[in-house]
Amino acid sequence: MSDIDTYRRKARTWLESVAPRFGRAARAELSEEEDLALGRAYLKERFAAGYAGINWPIEFGGQGLGHIEKVAFETEEMQFGMPTAYFSISLGMPVPIIMRFCEDKAWVKERVLKALQGEEIWCQLFSEPAGGSDLAGLRTRAETDGNGWKINGQKVWTSWAQYSDYGVIVVRTDPTVAKHKGLTYFWVDMKAPGVTVRPIKLAGGDSHVNEVFFDDVKVGDDHRMSPVGGGFAVAMATLMIERYVATDSAGFGPHLDLFVALAEEAEINGRPAIEDGRIRQQIARNHAMRNSLDAITARAMKMMQAGMEPGPEGSLNKLVSVRSRQKLSELAIDLQGAAGLHFDAHAPVKQDWGASWINAPTGRIAGGADEMLLNTIAEKILGLPQDHRPDKGVPFNQIPA
Amino acid sequence: MSILYDEGQQAIASESRRILEAHVTTEALLPLLETQDAIFEPFWSIAKEQGWTAVALPEAYGGLGLGLIELGLVALQAGRSLSGAPFLTPSFGAARAILDHGDEALKQHWLPKLATGDAIGAIAFAEGQQVIGRSLAFKDGKLGGTKPAVTGGTRADVAVVTASDGKEPILAVAELTGVERQAIDSFDNSRCAADLIFADTPAIVLARGPAAEEAALHILALQAVITAHEQTGGAEKLLETARDYALTRRAFGQPIGAFQSVKHRIAEIYALVELARAGAVHAASREGQEDFIAAAAAARIQATDSYDTAARDCVQVHGGIGVTWEAGLHLHMRRARSLAIEQGNLFFWEDVLVDRLREKAA
Repeated sequence: MSDIDTYRRKARTWLESVAPRFGRAARAELSEEEDLALGRAYLKERFAAGYAGINWPIEFGGQGLGHIEKVAFETEEMQFGMPTAYFSISLGMPVPIIMRFCEDKAWVKERVLKALQGEEIWCQLFSEPAGGSDLAGLRTRAETDGNGWKINGQKVWTSWAQYSDYGVIVVRTDPTVAKHKGLTYFWVDMKAPGVTVRPIKLAGGDSHVNEVFFDDVKVGDDHRMSPVGGGFAVAMATLMIERYVATDSAGFGPHLDLFVALAEEAEINGRPAIEDGRIRQQIARNHAMRNSLDAITARAMKMMQAGMEPGPEGSLNKLVSVRSRQKLSELAIDLQGAAGLHFDAHAPVKQDWGASWINAPTGRIAGGADEMLLNTIAEKILGLPQDHRPDKGVPFNQIPA
Repeated sequence: MSILYDEGQQAIASESRRILEAHVTTEALLPLLETQDAIFEPFWSIAKEQGWTAVALPEAYGGLGLGLIELGLVALQAGRSLSGAPFLTPSFGAARAILDHGDEALKQHWLPKLATGDAIGAIAFAEGQQVIGRSLAFKDGKLGGTKPAVTGGTRADVAVVTASDGKEPILAVAELTGVERQAIDSFDNSRCAADLIFADTPAIVLARGPAAEEAALHILALQAVITAHEQTGGAEKLLETARDYALTRRAFGQPIGAFQSVKHRIAEIYALVELARAGAVHAASREGQEDFIAAAAAARIQATDSYDTAARDCVQVHGGIGVTWEAGLHLHMRRARSLAIEQGNLFFWEDVLVDRLREKAA
């Protein structure tokens, strides 16, 4: 058995030992506040067990292991439905980026330790009402204010801002230069005067994303994490940091086995659904596609183990799997006939077809819309031309609205 | 689990690609479409010289002692270049049937010849819509009846057939000397499809009853994995062709690849190629495991869908030039269809896969 298999098995044993207290079943009846509290308690135990900051440097409180151990642990952890969602952005991007770009290392270490133990949560303030995919088109501005800065504007789709203690933010500091060149990167205290967080209720009924308003929010120049005008590069570094993440060929929706089980029970016009060609074809095609995605992931893991850079095909997972989850969820609801009308807004998306279906569009938009992923494949992998961009090279304040 | 290719395997891939790209051209392949029983002879000579016919057979019988992974790599390159003869996969399938189920004398008789390519094998299972047909009659050691549209049938020396003795299914092997062959006119004529008409043809039984059923499915699965590689290669070539054309062809003052309707279509082909590749490689690595048939079915389904879509969309990206005889993209359209049917169509493999998923769940 290889080292990674041993590591994975040990991790699984630990996860099984704490799952009765923190897993899916333990969370079923909790309010969001209770669930968050349970999540904080889980992170504390996870930290004590040595499964926090797995691939982060030891000097910051991490375990100093590789991407492979991190992905292995996350893949195992995902199966237990632990209350980790509140911390996924925090530990995924903002905290790793302050380790890299903040000067005051003692302060950073304090933040990292608190974040790893669930005591503090960070959010990422990138998207704005005027632009999500077009990040560099953002309008929130920071102007010099004495020795520091004053921020005004609005961010949106900010995950877990309502529970966040800190955030990383990209703002415009110079509107007279081309849009990518006038941005600067800061960290902000989410409890500072002038910061207002307003949750957005999503189509499925839950509110994990927010609008965040900044009204004359003052930050010191020591909050600045990039050169003035150099914020776009740090923003890109932030988005690149999570290249090694656990993937799910089920598109973070229900496993295909659950669809097969449903088809075994359901009938179509009085005949078993599992014998119906329309259903069988969907099962077969979805399985074939997911089987391939799993093989791509397995190969990427092998490459990482061999010290190689995994191929670009790993980027297909989200594009392909979430689309298929969306359609399969529709089909699963239809298959139940009138019984499919029952809906529980808070049911877990990996268990429930209704919750999976209503939340699937979020998966196709958040973290890179399907169209942006296709552009990235076309441009970065296949070398096809960029889209026509009329704002290219134009000073930001002269771009036609 | 999937695999990483080692240096030897990478060398097989690059060398087979180099030699095929140097020899196989669209101009050479186009005339084959309009004649029955015509192959691109240099392809078959290369396959024999390079030892591709021997790749996945044991050294004891003149093979190279490699497996599905290596033969798959050759097939992928053959798919890229549109192999000019259809014998590689069925000869391998026939050899494996003899190797796995024949006695020593039979192996000594056929395997060395199949390994050098001096003999050509065929798999004659299908009968119309039946992927594994049983209407061929086996009686007193002889076969009677017709196996229609057998790939490579115009030239095969030996065929592995499914039949029935009236009581149970039979898997048998027959030398084709004296068997009447009627070449059929197909949209992909270099596949050398022919109806094989057996009349008192001596045959040797390889398996009977449920064992014969299981053996036939296993042989088809082995071939399906090789074909999935070939389909992946075809789709990969179409991806590159579409990409290259979109970079050079200009309309409305820019390369057509700058239009999202075009670039997204090509990006989708990329996704399909990588899904097909991953499924095929995974299946090749599962031979001998409990889930091999399911892995082969999954690979087959994904690769068929990928090659079909790539062929359809690559032609679309090319616009008018894509539908000309000379451009030759229809060679891939034709091959995508013939490969979709050889080794069993999607309906067959979808059922095989779902039955296995149900068994696993139960």
